[in-house]
Amino acid sequence: MKKIITAAILALIPLAARAEYEQVNLTVFGMDCAPCAHAIHVSMKGIQGVNTVDVDLNTGLVTIKLTPGNSAAILQFNQAVEKNGFTHKDAAIVARGKLTGIPSAPFFEVAGTQDRFALVPAATAVDIASLLGKTVTIAGTLPQVSKGKIPDTLRYNTITEVR
Amino acid sequence: MKSLMVLACAVALPGIALAADHGPVFGYATPVNSQRELSFDTGIFGRNGSLGTQFSTASGFGYGVTPHITLNAFLPGTFGTGSFPESRIFPTGEWSAGASWRFQHSVTSVGKRIESTASLAAVVPGPQTDTGVLATLHRAPGVAGTLATGLASRSQYAWVGGGYTRFAEASHDRRPDTISWSGVYGYRPASLRRGYDQWDYRGFAEFTGEHTGNVRTNGAILPNSSTTTLWLGPSVLAIFKNIAISGGVQGPVFRDESDTTYGRERIRFALNFSYLKYSAHTSSH
Repeated sequence: MKKIITAAILALIPLAARAEYEQVNLTVFGMDCAPCAHAIHVSMKGIQGVNTVDVDLNTGLVTIKLTPGNSAAILQFNQAVEKNGFTHKDAAIVARGKLTGIPSAPFFEVAGTQDRFALVPAATAVDIASLLGKTVTIAGTLPQVSKGKIPDTLRYNTITEVR
Repeated sequence: MKSLMVLACAVALPGIALAADHGPVFGYATPVNSQRELSFDTGIFGRNGSLGTQFSTASGFGYGVTPHITLNAFLPGTFGTGSFPESRIFPTGEWSAGASWRFQHSVTSVGKRIESTASLAAVVPGPQTDTGVLATLHRAPGVAGTLATGLASRSQYAWVGGGYTRFAEASHDRRPDTISWSGVYGYRPASLRRGYDQWDYRGFAEFTGEHTGNVRTNGAILPNSSTTTLWLGPSVLAIFKNIAISGGVQGPVFRDESDTTYGRERIRFALNFSYLKYSAHTSSH
């Protein structure tokens, strides 16, 4: 019985420590027709770990849901847009990662990628100090950046500790 | 390997400025391939006049080297009779290959972009001989340049463009230089602005015009061989994901051409099929 419990705990540890993007909602400018959307769909599906992609031509919203354990980075999503000749705007994300830094200058790191963002509150600030060093799930917005770059900051809406 | 083959094909063969897949069927437009996108176009084009009918089966290949540069090759075949002026809007017996560069690209909002594209292509005689006045000429390679600019959006499209083709001389013969231009307006009704997993339709009004210079044969200018014509007509483009079908018809609105040399050209039509193969390749981080 003890062995089973130990095995179950060991199996849960990597889950708790896992860091990844869970969902990326990217606004894309310039898509006028079905092949544009299809091109984006094909490019996004080519990123390892992408589960589903939905493209709304009338709003320009590309909704990407990722599988657990993925190591996709935000730059890959941006590149998938750029290679088709379009422009990406703000991206709303839900991601799991580690809070680092200091209370006055916290960072969010998505392990398995080189993505590291300075955290700024979109509205109400969260008590960051108690979450430093912990694995959290963040919902927030990455602002638009120029081609080939990734944002420095993540405007968070919610931060919840992953237990 | 596939990319290399396409690249080799495009370099070895020479490009007409015929627009297809994303745009109008006759006129010039700005879309280019996505990076690593392979496109294939094939269609049948016809023109009928008082001296006969000419058909062209047009096959084109494109490969997106970058999001804004596409290499393309165009290999038309012609059959039928008739005596028609040289044309760069309508595919004739010349094979061509070249590159298109979208040098201006302004993405202003969701679903809208303003862009300009220039193309340069080498043109070489195809394996088939022409009919009519042009059939007797020794043929030589030429060079074709085009420029198009315009707007694409979810509701409306508008493009204007022009092109110039100049042929070299061969055995004291020379095909006429050709200046061509076009203006295209497209519209997608609100009820057809649907999801990308449904058929996407849009309609165009296509206005095209061409001026061909004099035909030179045996070192002398053939009398009454220069022409100017203007054409207008509708076309429809239907797309489902990566497959596009377009068709259109045009009638003359102005003709300044010799009836004895070329006859009276009455109608042009086109039916084009496109297949677009997008690349799923993305860089790893």
